[in-house]
Amino acid sequence: MRDKILYIIGAAAVILLARDLYLITGFPPERNQGVIFKIIFFHVPMAITALTCAMVAFLSSILFLITKNFKYDALAVAVTEVGLAFLAGNLITGSIWGRVAWGIWWTWDARLTSALVCWLLYAGYLMLRNAIEEPTQRATFAAVFSIFAFIDVPIVIFSIKWWRTQHPQPVFWGGGSFPPDWKAVFGWQMLAVLMVGVVFTMVRLRQEEFQREIDSLRRMAHAL
Amino acid sequence: MFALMLLQVSPEDVTREIERLQRNFTFLNSGLWVAWLILVVYVLMMVGRERKLKREIAGLKAMLEDKPRS
Repeated sequence: MRDKILYIIGAAAVILLARDLYLITGFPPERNQGVIFKIIFFHVPMAITALTCAMVAFLSSILFLITKNFKYDALAVAVTEVGLAFLAGNLITGSIWGRVAWGIWWTWDARLTSALVCWLLYAGYLMLRNAIEEPTQRATFAAVFSIFAFIDVPIVIFSIKWWRTQHPQPVFWGGGSFPPDWKAVFGWQMLAVLMVGVVFTMVRLRQEEFQREIDSLRRMAHAL
Repeated sequence: MFALMLLQVSPEDVTREIERLQRNFTFLNSGLWVAWLILVVYVLMMVGRERKLKREIAGLKAMLEDKPRS
């Protein structure tokens, strides 16, 4: 049943992405930035998906510490890994946009730096997990680290409000203007990327279940 | 007005603008490729890991079935 849901969401996401790509290609270039502006249709949904993953990891880490239920730990590691992939995509597409718009690949501005720190923190979370053998200790340490790492997420989101940054102010919810038909496509694109994130998380979650099965089989093998 | 505008634009300006647009498009193209490449690489990593985990489970199960007999 879960596999069927996975395939349905995956197929819907692929169809939506293909449709959006077709529509985005047909849009005229933006007046000031030209065609590179269209990267926003990938850059922003990737960022929102990555930060949603961080939020889910934060909540499931808290729930693990309260309940000691390993399902929450599995969810936390699954969404963290998926979020890391999306954040990498966000950073790289942003860098490519910056090369055209600013003439530089990277600048140590508050938004860019806090996003890079966020990526490094969650990469550290995965490294920490690999370094601890004992499952309960691994899950507890990782949950505490994930809660600590989440402190960076509001800094990433609000850095463009709190400090004077080179990064543009938000196009949505920040006074920017976007034609209504572009807005609709952006909404669908956002949904499609989120759906890809859900599919990845479900696959990764299944792998965590396999890992738990391996752990219990190993314990049985040692007991015999 | 349009004729006046045309008079102010030199052929070099037009060439420069075409080059700018071309460069813009190349960067957009590479941006999209990189974004999807990251996700494809991640999917391949997940597929590889899933195969490895399934192999490990099968190996452990086979070992556990053999052990009581021996």
